Amino acid sequence: MSEKISLSPIERIKKESHGLRGTIVEGLKDEITGAIREDDQAVIKFHGMYQQDDRDLREERAAQKLERLYSFMIRLRLPGGFLKPEQWIATHEIADGNASGVIKITSRQTLQLHGLIKSSIKPTIRSFNEAKLDSIATCGDINRNVLCSSHPRQSSIHETVFGYAEKISEMLMPKTRAYYEIWLDEEKLADKKDEEDPLYQDRYMPRKFKIGIAIPPNNDVDVFANDIGLIAIIENKRLLGFNLAIGGGLSTTHGSKETYARLGTVIGFCDNEEKTLKSIYEVLTIQRDHGNRSDRKLARLKYTLDRLGVDWFKNELEQRTGFALDLPRPYEFTQRTDYFGWHQSEQGLWYYTVFVENGRVMDDETVMLKSALLDIAKTGKANFRFTCNQNVILADIRKEDKPVIQEVLERYRINRLTELASPIRRNSMACVALNTCPLALAEGQRYLPSLISKIEPMLRRYGLDQEEIVIRMTGCPNGCARPYIAEIGLVGTAIGRYNLHMGGDRLGERLNKIYKENLDESAILSELDGWLSRFKSERKPGESFGDFALREVKFK
Amino acid sequence: MIGDIKLRTLQELVENSTKEELIWINGYLAGLVKTNTLPEAPVKSSINKLTIVFGTDTGNSKKLASEFALKAKKSGVNAKLLGLDQYRLSDLQKEEYFLVVMSTHGDGEPPSAAKKFYDYIHENALQLDKLNYSVLALGDTAYPLFCKAGEDVDARLQNLGATRVMGLQKCDTDFETDARAWFENVLKTLGSGAQAGAAAPAIQRKSTGKRNHTGTILFNANLNGRGSSKQTYHIEIAADDVQYQPGDSIGIVPENPVEIVMAVIELVNINKDRKLAYRDGEVTVFELLKKKLSIVYLPERVVKQYSSVVRQDIPSTRIDLLNLLKIYPVRDAAQFEEVIGILEPITPRLYSIASSPVAHTGEVHIAVARQCFTVNEEVGYGLCSDYLAALQVNATFEFYVHKNSQFKLPAPNVDVIMIGPGAGLAPFRSFIEERDTTGASGRNWLFYGDQHFETDFLYQTEIQNFVQTGVLTKVNVAFSRDQAEKIYVQHRILQHQAEFYSWLESGAHVYICGAKDTMSVAVENTLLKLIEEVGNKTEEQASAYLNELKERGRYQKDVY
Ligand code: SRM
Ligand SMILES: Cc1cc2nc3c(=O)[nH]c(=O)nc-3n(C[C@H](O)[C@H](O)[C@H](O)COP(=O)(O)OP(=O)(O)OC[C@H]3O[C@@H](n4cnc5c(N)ncnc54)[C@H](O)[C@@H]3O)c2cc1C
Ligand SMILES: Cc1cc2nc3c(=O)[nH]c(=O)nc-3n(C[C@H](O)[C@H](O)[C@H](O)COP(=O)(O)O)c2cc1C
Ligand code: SF4
Repeated sequence: MSEKISLSPIERIKKESHGLRGTIVEGLKDEITGAIREDDQAVIKFHGMYQQDDRDLREERAAQKLERLYSFMIRLRLPGGFLKPEQWIATHEIADGNASGVIKITSRQTLQLHGLIKSSIKPTIRSFNEAKLDSIATCGDINRNVLCSSHPRQSSIHETVFGYAEKISEMLMPKTRAYYEIWLDEEKLADKKDEEDPLYQDRYMPRKFKIGIAIPPNNDVDVFANDIGLIAIIENKRLLGFNLAIGGGLSTTHGSKETYARLGTVIGFCDNEEKTLKSIYEVLTIQRDHGNRSDRKLARLKYTLDRLGVDWFKNELEQRTGFALDLPRPYEFTQRTDYFGWHQSEQGLWYYTVFVENGRVMDDETVMLKSALLDIAKTGKANFRFTCNQNVILADIRKEDKPVIQEVLERYRINRLTELASPIRRNSMACVALNTCPLALAEGQRYLPSLISKIEPMLRRYGLDQEEIVIRMTGCPNGCARPYIAEIGLVGTAIGRYNLHMGGDRLGERLNKIYKENLDESAILSELDGWLSRFKSERKPGESFGDFALREVKFK
Repeated sequence: MIGDIKLRTLQELVENSTKEELIWINGYLAGLVKTNTLPEAPVKSSINKLTIVFGTDTGNSKKLASEFALKAKKSGVNAKLLGLDQYRLSDLQKEEYFLVVMSTHGDGEPPSAAKKFYDYIHENALQLDKLNYSVLALGDTAYPLFCKAGEDVDARLQNLGATRVMGLQKCDTDFETDARAWFENVLKTLGSGAQAGAAAPAIQRKSTGKRNHTGTILFNANLNGRGSSKQTYHIEIAADDVQYQPGDSIGIVPENPVEIVMAVIELVNINKDRKLAYRDGEVTVFELLKKKLSIVYLPERVVKQYSSVVRQDIPSTRIDLLNLLKIYPVRDAAQFEEVIGILEPITPRLYSIASSPVAHTGEVHIAVARQCFTVNEEVGYGLCSDYLAALQVNATFEFYVHKNSQFKLPAPNVDVIMIGPGAGLAPFRSFIEERDTTGASGRNWLFYGDQHFETDFLYQTEIQNFVQTGVLTKVNVAFSRDQAEKIYVQHRILQHQAEFYSWLESGAHVYICGAKDTMSVAVENTLLKLIEEVGNKTEEQASAYLNELKERGRYQKDVY
């Protein structure tokens, strides 16, 4: 009972939202503010949007008696990160017409547009809808965009595995028609029963919920960072089923011992589709019923799992599904990477993975990436597949069409950009952070590129420039670029200051640890200089930087 | 002389009084007569009907005319008082005795309320032989064309055959004494039956000018966000002894930029410290050019005079003095002194006061839109708005309060609709602050607009607070360039026309401030349209309805 009394405020908002409607419609009509009403800011997330403001301008505008420069970020639902060329064209046009123009590929295989003003949300969603795209449930306390290993080269049955992302996403969609009513002017349902939601009820999940599917040996999706990770078990080009890993989640809070990053625990194996889907569904219902709804910091599945115990959880799951999980099957990850440049699938189709630094697709002085991708989409000869490393694969290209794509890549020098980027840059990731992320304490994607430019000469000096070292940076400890499973993790603490994490592995199977706190740029560079120099001279043959660091670095 | 009843009362009083009392009464009456607070003996009038019309923008002429009408009635003259905007023009030819009280606005123009009358007499060859008239002209010697509109009317009426009862009386901003004396004289003349075109009354008085205040800048910041094509400065000014009411403005005489002044001085090679006679004193050349005389964007009439001073042909155009001197040089410094003689004073610029005196005691706030224009692909800025925009905290400057009795809040319980796009919002910030601070119970509805929501929503957070605390009942905004089609305040008014009309019906006052030629005309047409549509009226009925609002002071404009 006492738990009920102290429900977090978001719980009330969800419950009173009339099926995620809130007072969004009224808020949209308010002419004197670019914001929506406070409670609705939680509700609108379930529709795939965040209210943000330009943090660079906060003080300046306050002195001008102007409210914060509010805008909205919209995130698409793209299970497995797949887009048809005409959908890319639509997104490009919407980005230019209604948003900031930059198309952001996220660390979860989807696209975000920033800078939508309130009045352009509706036209944006309409245009997306015409392109058969939506943003339902890409944010909020609900199942998010479902990940899947992105490169069809992975496996001849990639398509089959990929299909699961779609199915899972579909199964876990909310039942409310609010999205269609508010944004697409759908008639209100006469019968409320049709909206009844046995999974989410009127309280949804206690917190966000993430699912990813990996196809070994590549852990490109960082499967263990998800609440549910599925590891495809394939034998002789046949999908046998999935190992089920639960309780992954990375976020921590500075100064809070109760919060921690956790990698998923493999609890069993499902040998067919029905069982797989049923298990997933019931993991959600258990988390729905047992997750912490009073402290949002401790509401993710990982905490529920550790609180109630893995055995308890497994037992409860088997009770709910009515079947026992099989023992996990053996699997091995040997890499966590995007296959840059041209690659061919077993089916004979061609793929070109473009390096997109921090996922920001735009035109600037150095490269006209956005124009290039538009030209490629206009050929109609390549699909777009996004990776969890914020890159794009020009995909499913027939042999005879390859030269057409190659021509565009060369014309815009995209191939050079991709092929000449240093390994450390290509393996790097940074989150959005300033100026849009309200939670950012420090810079992310605006800063990492220049920091890497200072690390590259160091690596060259030690002859380590071809070493595949993974560096990831976030502007706060939420971990959006998964810095806790990088060999070098930089987690922002304040403007210009980062905690330096080291000792993670290269495969995403081992968390790193905090080595030093609150370093500024010069301290970061001198620490790295020291450790890279030692790595050069003291590493064991074939040893990765992360393994070396784990062995040599003295952590606090 | 004294009527029967009064005589009887007096006799009774005298009979019942002691000697001491009688002595006291005697002294008391003598004192009364001396201090002149007794009603004047009515002039035995030889006229049956006197029409007094007024043309006003900010209420001075109206106030005087009303005072005169009352006095005339007390003196037994049947006086009719009318605003020139309400005056039936065809009546003019039937008038016998006609007094005009009017001010000058703009650059020597009649006030907008007198425009129709002014045009009518100038554009028609009327026969006004029967008309006996006199004009009282209000003006301000700070403007080059002092009392020009009044002068024009006075001259034109004479041209049309009318007879002056009394010559034109021009008044400066301290008009009370001159104006009252003029009216006494007019009344006397009318009473004595003398109607010959009398000369201008011989009241020669030195003008005391305006009450100037020294303002100190407390705060000065641009309200338009980054990326805006506009700059509007919110300026907070400290001035201890300043008194004003919401709806008033302040007047400022800007100074010319020192670079330009020095460039002129160097070009004509004149000693900048040389003293020249100016008005009632002596002022150095530098001081004259910096603070007194208008040297940028000279009006055509000055350019014309310049051309005769330098004896060169100059096409009729507006141009800066510096350019004029470069293209058509003066012979020498002496000839330049002649040029100084033809230059006009720098005219005051007015700015609506944006603060309420009860909310900000001892302070005046204004919102100044920095004027920006391009000439020959070069960007230029308005003289005064540029000067104000650049003033730093603690800088001081001179200003005066220009009262406007025609733009005033109604009683606290009356509803108010305010339409003020752009810098036109300024007086409404004062209105709202006033109503907020005094706890006025009437409802308040604001219409605001500009180009872009993100950057041009002046006082946005304050307005949001006023909505939150309930002082502002409704706010509707129109941002013209945030969508394909242009949306202005009048479109928002139309969208809410039923509610607008119901506010009108329940007694709301409507106020418009801002651009005169564009916005205020469009809004007025919209009001007419909505009165017609929602009120189910004909076009004539609608305009009568609006006219009625105007007459009752329920429809007030401060547009420029
Ligand atoms: C765009 C993206 C980073 C990127 O540069 O790619 C991102 C951006 C944001 N994340 Fe994230 N997260 C993104 C992947 C992640 C990941 C990585 C992953 O899922 O593999 C994590 C860590 C894994 C995890 O969930 O534990 C992550 C953990 C968070 C958290 C911490 C959650 C928690 O359990 O405490 C928050 C804060 C929150 O939810 O309260 C957060 C919140 C945010 C918000 C929405 C800030 C907010 O809540 O207002 C950021 C929006 C910034 C902006 O302006 O765009 N984001 N976020 C990624 C979008 C993924 C997607 O398409 O859905
Ligand atoms: C009752 C009243 C209230 C007012 N309230 C406000 C208020 O609250 N806020 C406000 O901002 N304004 C207000 N105004 C307007 C204000 O008084 C000024 O008219 C305005 O600031 C422009 O003055 P300025 O000296 O900056 O521009 P000026 O130098 O007088 O120039 C005015 C215009 O003339 C033209 N011009 C000037 N020089 C040149 C040149 N060299 N070449 C070509 N064109 C040129 C330009 O079009 C320019 O915009 C009000 C006016 C009135 C009558
Ligand atoms: C914008 C403006 C322009 C003016 N222009 C002139 C002018 O050109 N000549 C003049 O003599 N007075 C001018 N005046 C001064 C007015 O005529 C003077 O203030 C008068 O008292 C106003 O009378 P009213 O309130 O009846 O309109 C101007 C005043 C304002 C506000
Ligand atoms: S890690 Fe923090 S700063 Fe970066 S996007 Fe996520 S929430 Fe924002």
